[in-house]
Amino acid sequence: MNNYNIVGKGIPRVDGPAKATGKAIYTVDVELPGMLYAKILRSPYPHARILHIDTSEAERLPGVKAVITGQEFRDVRYAFVDTPRYPADEHPLAVDKVRYIGDEVAAVAAESEAIAEKALSLIKVEYEILPGVFTAEEAMKQEAPMIHDEQLGGTSAWEQWGVAQKKASRETETRVNNLSGHTYVSFGDVEKGFREADYVREDRFTLEATAHCPMEPHAAVASYDPLEQKLDVWLSTQGIFLKRFFLSKVLKMPPSKIRVHHTFVGGAFGGKIDLFHYECCAAYLSIKTGRPVKIELEREEVFMTTRQRHPIIVKIKSGVKKDGTIVAQDIKVIADNGAYRGSGPVVIFLCHGFSFPIYNIANYRYEGFSVYTNNGIRGPQRGHGAPQIRFSIDSHIDLIARDLGMDPVDIMLKNVRHKGDVLPNGDRLDSCGLTECIEGAARAIDWQNKRRQFKPSEDNGRYRRGVGISLCAMFSGAMYYPFASAAVVTLHDDGSATLFTGAQDIGQGSYTTLSQVLAEELGISIEDIRVVAGDTDLCPIDIGSFLSGTALVTGNAVKLAAADAKRQLLEGAADLLGTDDIDRLATGDKKVFFKDNPEQSVSFQQAIQASILKQGGNPIIGRGSYKGYPRTDRYPSLAKGKGLFTGAYGFAAQAAEVEVDTLTGKVTLLKAVTFHDCGFPLNKTIVEGQVQGCVSMGAGQALSEELVFENGQLFNPSFLTYQIPISLDTPESVEEIVSTIEPSGPFGAKEVGEGVVAGILGAIGNAVHDAIGVRIYSLPITPEKVLRALGKI
Amino acid sequence: MKKTIHLVINDEEKSLSVDVNKTLLEVLREDLGLTGTKRGCNQGECGACTVLLNGKPVSSCSLLAVKADGKSIVTIEGLAKDGTLHPIQKAFNEKGAIQCGFCTPGMILVTKSLLEQNPKPQLAEIKEAISGNICRCTGYVKIIEAISSLVDS
Repeated sequence: MNNYNIVGKGIPRVDGPAKATGKAIYTVDVELPGMLYAKILRSPYPHARILHIDTSEAERLPGVKAVITGQEFRDVRYAFVDTPRYPADEHPLAVDKVRYIGDEVAAVAAESEAIAEKALSLIKVEYEILPGVFTAEEAMKQEAPMIHDEQLGGTSAWEQWGVAQKKASRETETRVNNLSGHTYVSFGDVEKGFREADYVREDRFTLEATAHCPMEPHAAVASYDPLEQKLDVWLSTQGIFLKRFFLSKVLKMPPSKIRVHHTFVGGAFGGKIDLFHYECCAAYLSIKTGRPVKIELEREEVFMTTRQRHPIIVKIKSGVKKDGTIVAQDIKVIADNGAYRGSGPVVIFLCHGFSFPIYNIANYRYEGFSVYTNNGIRGPQRGHGAPQIRFSIDSHIDLIARDLGMDPVDIMLKNVRHKGDVLPNGDRLDSCGLTECIEGAARAIDWQNKRRQFKPSEDNGRYRRGVGISLCAMFSGAMYYPFASAAVVTLHDDGSATLFTGAQDIGQGSYTTLSQVLAEELGISIEDIRVVAGDTDLCPIDIGSFLSGTALVTGNAVKLAAADAKRQLLEGAADLLGTDDIDRLATGDKKVFFKDNPEQSVSFQQAIQASILKQGGNPIIGRGSYKGYPRTDRYPSLAKGKGLFTGAYGFAAQAAEVEVDTLTGKVTLLKAVTFHDCGFPLNKTIVEGQVQGCVSMGAGQALSEELVFENGQLFNPSFLTYQIPISLDTPESVEEIVSTIEPSGPFGAKEVGEGVVAGILGAIGNAVHDAIGVRIYSLPITPEKVLRALGKI
Repeated sequence: MKKTIHLVINDEEKSLSVDVNKTLLEVLREDLGLTGTKRGCNQGECGACTVLLNGKPVSSCSLLAVKADGKSIVTIEGLAKDGTLHPIQKAFNEKGAIQCGFCTPGMILVTKSLLEQNPKPQLAEIKEAISGNICRCTGYVKIIEAISSLVDS
């Protein structure tokens, strides 16, 4: 039991009232005097050479202030991955070729959106249509058209920042057509492992592209001051410093000349990390016109042209002993990363990263390929590889259990990792509650009573129910730009505090949880804290709200800043209290007092005054910082899976109960159970909300969500046709926190809110099999697939 | 082309000269600065732009402003009074029903309409009432809890 006053409590979010009253300002709400509105002309072809662009008529349209094309930025390249091995492959606007339907060709800034829209129709583009390729496996064939045949020389962003490890030789990569990334990891002797196994099984799973669907469409406002040569931007983003870093490279401006301002973010889910073309265009158009420029994407553009989850093919082969011990596993992953590299090399690395922390397998081989196609660009999406790999592995484990006549829960318990384990890359599991999670989830879903194990031949009526279980793991931050978070705490005359953090609240509640960390450490109430966040000029650096590092990495930075401020406060008070031993002092209720005599106290105000008057004018400013992963200076090798990955892994077991209507094929998720080892919940309500959101997104992706493409054309870029869960789909939801107290986390906290999007997929797939006795090897599990599997169509 | 329309917005009478091709959403956000009403899809599919028109929830992105002539409109800005949150806003905040907040104004207004017409809705009726409002963050669990808490009290 702990004696915390503020952390761990489900207190309401600090930004709740602003959001409940409509006062919260999102990027789309920013209006500046003299603002222009921009629109983007996009490619109607999946693969074509641009022969000629004529913008003259558009430029003559009254109200049009600027038109830009890729010709102006021929030498500008950037990308989510920009390393010596994987140099950036995107231009702000297409230069010689377009590579997918929606690729940016030109941009217009005008007095109104309507004029900008009209101007787009006046731009004449002459294309030479090229043959396209639309699946990863086709693209890898020798005869497939080459999507990227340009030379990608120059200095990568990683080299520019001075963090690139030795110049990578691309010769080591497998020579495969249209390859954008390759990961190969091996430990033990996988062939020997298979020889020693009593039973070997091989399966193939496929997962389709899915959309993030943040409710706020992507938007940017840029305002350039030609006199100061400074650019102010308002972006809907998960990481203000990463955006500034890439913007600075694209615009060839020093980072200090670019200020990212705070706005609230209307949902992100990984889809607002990358620097986007539209953001570059807003900046260029503002620089060109000297006026503020706003660009707000239409929902169709968000679906087509921001980022999507990678469609992935997973081939997995495991060797097991009679008792269920997995002795060998061989995994092959092929990811379709679309027209540009996006996060292709990262997702194939992360499929390994979220595979190997779960089961302890002595002999293991993993190979991943990311491949260019003429589809939309694929990037990070909540889980980033975890949904794909966890669905595949735990579906496969469930199938093995059936073959062996074993309970999959027993196989999981037999093989999972434990606290104290050291992973093959050197990461340590200083906290790991997998076993408790599995046992808890099985209990909560009533596993033993509800397992049906129907066979397709049995006639058990139209509606059949079944249960399934699956596991997941997720990083808690990693070594990625800017590699650390810092925090500053200032104390005011009245004893209240302001927290300056570069972290961005994207809805996950970081302003609240970070305030709780500060309040607990400093001994003040949450009402006495104001958060200044998400502004690159006001706030210290932050790793950003992705890779699930905010709680652990930024949380530690805030805790250290609070402790620093508290130490100064105690020093200020010590004199007044007539002691030189600050260890005798404690804080609470905006007072400093003796631990053994709380009656003898001074107010924060008095202590701050003393600090100013007696400590050389120190008004008390606390600072703290924490590295993305303190045990290493390096980011891990994406290609070889070497190096340390993350300071702590969040874990979970998830179970599902489904009902299958065998007449229509419709699957209904009745109950979803999550037992989540998040170390320690800084805010119980927020943790539950994160889990429920993950479960909903995962259930959508398991049962209905799929971006449907044909020859590169997206057929369902709207909420009517791309079906995400609505209120009527809400299952009975059980979420329990398995508190393992991560030693490196603030108050024991680690990852929450990302990994558990993944386990629910396998849980649902396994539950469907349990209910109807047949396996669906691809997501989403649509009624059509169910009826086909049942032999009814 | 412009036309003058008369509206009661959040209990305040207004006469406005509006472009006839502007939607109510555009007039609220652009002409009146009521940016609490959100544009999520602009196609009437997501519910983020919900306002109450004569007490009934409508997608303001799919209604021309001139069609609202003579009607009464409540937006999210009209709920909190004298620095105090409306009970629905309070319940949403306290129950953890708000995450990114972009769907929140629409959800709260739909809830207001539901509870005015049906003060004791069943769980199924609550789910039905908000089924036109998409939330990607919460999985709806805590939104449903927040609404239920208002029914219980």
